[in-house]
Amino acid sequence: MATYIVRRLLQMIPILLIVSILAFLFVHLTPGDPIRIMYGIEIDQDTYQQLREREGFNDPLPVQYVRYMGNVVRGDFGVSYRTRANVSSEIGRRFINTFVLASVSMIWATLAGLVVGIISAVKRNSLLDRVVMTLSVASISIPSFWLGLLLMQVFAVRLGWLPTSGIGGIRHLIMPAFVLGATVAAIVARFTRSSLLETLGEDYIRTARAKGQIRRNVIFKHALRNALIPVVTMTGLQFGFLIGGAIAIETVFSWPGLGSYLIDGIINRDYPVVQALIMLFSLQFLGVNLLVDLTYAYLNPQIRYS
Amino acid sequence: MKKKKMLLFVLLLVTMLVFVSACSDVEDPVDEENGEETEGTDDPVEEEEEGEDESGMIEAGDEIVVALEAEPTSLDPFNSTDGVSTSVQKTMFEGLLRFDENLDIVPYLSESYEYNDDATELRFTLREGINFHDGTEFNAEVVKANFDFVLDEDNGLARRSFFNFIEEVEVADEFEIIIHASEPNASMASYLAHPTAGMKSLDELEKKMEDPDYNLDRNAIGTGPFRYVEWLDGQHVVVEKNEDYWDQDHMAQVESIRFTSVQEASTRVNQLKTGEVHFVDTLPTGEADSLMDEEYVNVFSGPSMNVFYIGMNLQEEKYQDENVRRAMNHGVDKDQLIAQVVDGFGRVADSPIAPPVYGYSPQAVYEYDIDGALDLMAEAGMEDGFEATLWTRNSTEFTAIAEFVAMQLREIGIEVDVQAYESGTLFDMLDNNDGTDLWIGRWSPGTGEADWGLRPNFASDRVPPNYNNSGFYINEEVDQLLNDALENPNEEERLELYHQAQEIIYQDAPWVFLHVVDAVAAQRTEVGGIYIMQDGSVDMNGVHFINQ
Repeated sequence: MATYIVRRLLQMIPILLIVSILAFLFVHLTPGDPIRIMYGIEIDQDTYQQLREREGFNDPLPVQYVRYMGNVVRGDFGVSYRTRANVSSEIGRRFINTFVLASVSMIWATLAGLVVGIISAVKRNSLLDRVVMTLSVASISIPSFWLGLLLMQVFAVRLGWLPTSGIGGIRHLIMPAFVLGATVAAIVARFTRSSLLETLGEDYIRTARAKGQIRRNVIFKHALRNALIPVVTMTGLQFGFLIGGAIAIETVFSWPGLGSYLIDGIINRDYPVVQALIMLFSLQFLGVNLLVDLTYAYLNPQIRYS
Repeated sequence: MKKKKMLLFVLLLVTMLVFVSACSDVEDPVDEENGEETEGTDDPVEEEEEGEDESGMIEAGDEIVVALEAEPTSLDPFNSTDGVSTSVQKTMFEGLLRFDENLDIVPYLSESYEYNDDATELRFTLREGINFHDGTEFNAEVVKANFDFVLDEDNGLARRSFFNFIEEVEVADEFEIIIHASEPNASMASYLAHPTAGMKSLDELEKKMEDPDYNLDRNAIGTGPFRYVEWLDGQHVVVEKNEDYWDQDHMAQVESIRFTSVQEASTRVNQLKTGEVHFVDTLPTGEADSLMDEEYVNVFSGPSMNVFYIGMNLQEEKYQDENVRRAMNHGVDKDQLIAQVVDGFGRVADSPIAPPVYGYSPQAVYEYDIDGALDLMAEAGMEDGFEATLWTRNSTEFTAIAEFVAMQLREIGIEVDVQAYESGTLFDMLDNNDGTDLWIGRWSPGTGEADWGLRPNFASDRVPPNYNNSGFYINEEVDQLLNDALENPNEEERLELYHQAQEIIYQDAPWVFLHVVDAVAAQRTEVGGIYIMQDGSVDMNGVHFINQ
């Protein structure tokens, strides 16, 4: 197992290298000039040229890339063009915000989704099943920024129970985490339901029932465990997306996470920020995938890695 | 099996640790105002009083919260060009002069100032007994060091060219300073009244010179009524009352101001409704409407310096006849544009610069007149019309303007194809003349005076790749007038020169002059003393709570 993990980690290096080249090309070849966007028309051509020179934009791209990667290898992701904040420490701070939001959303969404999915599968075609599944379709289809603004209108403006936006205590977390998790919960519920229904029709379940196992044991010990594998894949994938920052939610609720950072970075052509974030997101995805694979082995002992 | 359990356990542990540490991390700074946020919703006024009754100490109610549309880019007045940064900097930095609410120039860190006869020298008598936030003294040496610092090319400051007019700064006495201009320049005082000319402590400049990594963008030591506390990225910048402020009559009346950045306009509006925020500016006009009925909110608006226009590439043959350009000006119904697109928050642009700009002179507007426009088109031999491409930024406001204009120009036979681009991309295309035809532009002169309103857009040396004359408007008469005005120390004569320049430009119609949009802001009724300056920045120095 340990060698497997080490091997997988080593495999990440060439992938990240390719990502870094793509990210670099992506930001530098997109039209738009960071100096022009940052300072607008208020600076003249001389100052403009001088600032370009200072940021090294006048060098050929390969030179800029090598210089950039040289710094990255030393752990220096540069300084934001827009706010002159150190990109590494800023990402670190925002990562925690995004991670908290993603984790809380993920925890409630997974738990709720599982419970709802299991109940729906067991009580298939009951009224409860239909209501819950209809709600889940709605939850997947509603645009999250709209749901966010709606909740804000109700719970912050009308009722005054929760703060409208920003970051602070647990109360600031409730609305964004709810909105962010709503879609995931619905997806998890639907996945769990269909996967569990499929498993419940398998021969070994009938065998277990025939052996005289009680219904609860059959569902939780035999069926659910097997039914969870696709659910885990999907949940992992969703988590991968969430820790990349939820752009709409973070913007609506002014949550200082990675999603809003990325959007600001792109709009302002803040090259160091965008490059670092693309690499971070790739790394996160690779990491989440690895975790998902490892969870398979736990759920299904037949799967072995060496 | 053991290994798996171990792994799962470790994972769980790490997740929880991160979670717990993050929670405790973020909870602290806002703890104190949680009370305000929850209880203040229904009756914020009552809340305010409660805060004061409990004790005379610093309470949540002593903090003003402002929601800005973006984060500042820098706390260094010499190194930023955006209005948001200026609004924040103004609480901490002061210059030799300043603009008051009526845009008149008044002494600030100086007692008085005087031009010499040919406007090549500006002599200041500085105010005595002023200390910076770090305790160091303000005097002529500091002023000289500041200007020398910004003018030094090696420091690569964004605003260096703003001070290009300075040839030398001479210390005449401990509190006497003379600014020598390279050429006669009667605008010197208005440049020095701009918030960009804010003075910072000599210690700070020395720190920067000794250690190039010292970050002046993130440290702010000025003389203002507020001093810098912290800047948390993506969250807020906090400034607190400067107890040792030099002007006893204008001491800060609140303990602190928190500038938050809230990008989403509807969120800013909601925060204002709940009372979490006391002031928001740059409100989209649609949102302003929704605030009009709120009991605890005042909405106010006034003309901004932002002129909207359609630029045209005069190198294109179709725009070379001025009749075509005038026809286009007559072909757009500006009143309807203002009513429909900006909900009435604006006025017709009757000059290439906006009313609050120094040197503005109104011209006879191109009235909406389809028949007249068609006649002009025919006169130019364009009775069959032509096709055009109109570039616009992809923001809601700009696209709405573009679609409206396109619809109207069709009436006079111009088939307009609207193409929306992300703003950075659009600037790039205009600067490189990447097939420029028509584009929607917006201009606001940072200095608040006519030279900056006209020169970048209409001087012949400002064509691409320089900016912002992306339409290649070339008129030697205008060039001459602008240069003459800049060198003329006589105010009346200068105004006359600017008047002439505006007249010629408006006649030549290198733009379709659209509208001057209003600056719209809103504040809670329990606060007062906030001014929106006409450059779009906010003056918070006199902000206070009103007992109701």
